[in-house]
Amino acid sequence: MPSASPVALDILNLHKRFSEPAVNDLSLTVRAGEFYALLGPNGAGKTTTLRMVAGLLEADAGAVRICGIDAFADPIAAKQVLAWVPDEPMVYDKLTPLEYLEFVAGLWSMEPDHARFRADTLLESFGLAPHSNERCGGFSKGMRQKVALAGALIHEPRLIILDEPLTGLDAGSARQVKKVLSGLVEQGVSIIMTTHILEVAERMADRIGIIARGKLVAEGTLEELRERASADGNSLEDIFLEIVGGDSEGGAQPGEADHLEEKVA
Amino acid sequence: MSAIAAPSALLRFSRHELRLAWRDWAWMFSGWRNTSLRRALIGMSMFYTIMHLIAYAVLSPHLSSGFVLDHTALAMLSVTVLLSFTMMLSQAMESVTRAFYARDDLDLILSSPAPSRDLFLVRIVMMALTSWVMSALVISPFLNVAVVLGGERWLSGYAVLLAVSLTATGSGVLITLALFRMVGPQRTRLYAQILAAVVGAAFLIGMQVVAILSFGSISRFVLFDPAFLAHHAPAEGSPWWFPAHAVAGQTSAVLLFFAASVLFFAGGAWCGAVQFRRIVVSALGVTERTPRGRASGRAFRGHAPLGALVHKELTLIARDPWLVSQTLMQVLYLIPPAVMLWVSFGENTEISVIIAPVIVMAVGQLAGGLAWLTISGEDAPDLIATAPISDFTRLWAKVLSVLTLVAAIVLPMSLCMALLSVWGALVTFAGAMTAAASAILVQLWFRAQAKRTNFRRRQVASKASTLAEAAASISCAAGTALVAAGSPLALLPVVLLFTVIAISWSIRPKRSANA
Repeated sequence: MPSASPVALDILNLHKRFSEPAVNDLSLTVRAGEFYALLGPNGAGKTTTLRMVAGLLEADAGAVRICGIDAFADPIAAKQVLAWVPDEPMVYDKLTPLEYLEFVAGLWSMEPDHARFRADTLLESFGLAPHSNERCGGFSKGMRQKVALAGALIHEPRLIILDEPLTGLDAGSARQVKKVLSGLVEQGVSIIMTTHILEVAERMADRIGIIARGKLVAEGTLEELRERASADGNSLEDIFLEIVGGDSEGGAQPGEADHLEEKVA
Repeated sequence: MSAIAAPSALLRFSRHELRLAWRDWAWMFSGWRNTSLRRALIGMSMFYTIMHLIAYAVLSPHLSSGFVLDHTALAMLSVTVLLSFTMMLSQAMESVTRAFYARDDLDLILSSPAPSRDLFLVRIVMMALTSWVMSALVISPFLNVAVVLGGERWLSGYAVLLAVSLTATGSGVLITLALFRMVGPQRTRLYAQILAAVVGAAFLIGMQVVAILSFGSISRFVLFDPAFLAHHAPAEGSPWWFPAHAVAGQTSAVLLFFAASVLFFAGGAWCGAVQFRRIVVSALGVTERTPRGRASGRAFRGHAPLGALVHKELTLIARDPWLVSQTLMQVLYLIPPAVMLWVSFGENTEISVIIAPVIVMAVGQLAGGLAWLTISGEDAPDLIATAPISDFTRLWAKVLSVLTLVAAIVLPMSLCMALLSVWGALVTFAGAMTAAASAILVQLWFRAQAKRTNFRRRQVASKASTLAEAAASISCAAGTALVAAGSPLALLPVVLLFTVIAISWSIRPKRSANA
């Protein structure tokens, strides 16, 4: 049984090169029931990594196992237990949230009555119940993001991959989403999430990975990172800036990533 | 202060609009690549030269031996003017609606102190000029050849063309304003777009229907028969022939026609300009509102992934009136064969030879549009790509959606034909489905992920696929007609179809594993 695996996501020596290396020999593990935050400057390779895990991008080399399933060898079985939520909410303007969830439930071959129950519960949790019969075309970005999130959760995935899920959400909506995600982690669901909102990673993540120029340069709990990076400040922002060297485009300079990797090892 | 600011705002907007229009054209023809732009310009020059040769072949028999402005000539010229007018009116309605509804830069401009009516005036003049230039590209070779063979009086054709363009654009503004008043901003966009699609095809289709009802022939040219015109057309001195006299260079007619069109355009443009801000604000308000369905307590349908995908595709197409109106054109061209079927019922069993190619051609084009919508136009590609379904299911669902829609259109036509000729009906159905399958194959090989709203520009994305689609439809249409007629020559279009399909396959873009 895939869900019996103690490891929800196992990335091994992942490589991806566009005009230059985007992900370079990256390995990381997310345990079952763990909330993992993947941080890094713009262009560090976070989204590329997650897109390879979700099967949206082919890796040049390496392996990905999702709940014990080899995602490259058996992508359909791997997709059955994962959910992907991109930063730009992709929903159909001409469908209502309820119709959208019915469509997603069909894609995952869910039992109709259970799918309907899940849809109602999720729409209620995200505050979308009053809008469940309105077409998504007129929704704000935040509402569309919540519909996309509900779609990702309806089939009860074991691993949720979130790429900047809180972008465009107002404070109230962000709190609703965070509450739902925390509840899922308590139920044993694993989450890997990229975010630029360091406060979210600081408060919600069990472990944090920092990626720069395609390499994992630091990983651990907030306390471990604090100790290893010898940061003067207390916040994750201070630690993050020290590790990536204040470089906002791609993170550490070439060669610097190796040095940092040694530093936190 | 406003007296000083107004002309500079007009100038600024004009420069801005010219730059945007040029960049839009460059993108349309080249996709922003210099080599492609050069190729596009060379291609257009070749097209323009060939058009001159065609114009010479068409006009020289009439103009070389002295031109007589008789009933037939007047009818031909009037039909050309009317045809240009309907095409330009269709384009103008589409453009005016976009000027009111497209958000683009309107938030910025309406929130600035610049006078918004100046923007509308500039845009409306640009629309009229663009429509003039576009139609001149097709008509000017005929005018140039006419000038060389028949004298400089035919230069008046350019003035008439501009006058027609001004009248069509002015009419487009007034019709859109009237729609706003009658049906409100919520429905105007939809009604205007459907009307634009209908207006564009109505005149040609109308002529074809009249030809069928009067002569039993699907050819529009039978209407120019002198005996028919002598009985049905107005006398030669009638004001109905006024535009035709203007084209033929009658000075008073040109001046009057041109002056009237300038006044009409100025009136329409001014009406639009003074109401521009109010209409845009109410139109933008509409896009914010959400259509509300009935509260649904029903259970979810137990669709398998394939069923869910097909149901989604059909629902999205059915709920998008804009897309429906864009594909409506092809369906409209099926009206004449339907009328012919009705007229010939019980009399002519060989009618399928005439009707079948029209149906097959229209269905091929319709299938191309629908195939692009379902195969390339996906608004949630990540969701579909991360669903636990095979690539085959994913593509088969999209193909099945197109075939379902095409079959829904072709089946009733084929059943009607079966009452006349079972063989003709079978051949038509097979030909139409082959044309649809060819269009789907081309779209599969040339697919490129895009938002459905980019439908209008789908033919720009790949000129090769557009040409392949058209060539496949023509081959299927010719093949169907010849098979229906029982001719062994049917083998030729079949070979041509296979060649087109093989060439399309060989030049299809290389697909990376990440696509």
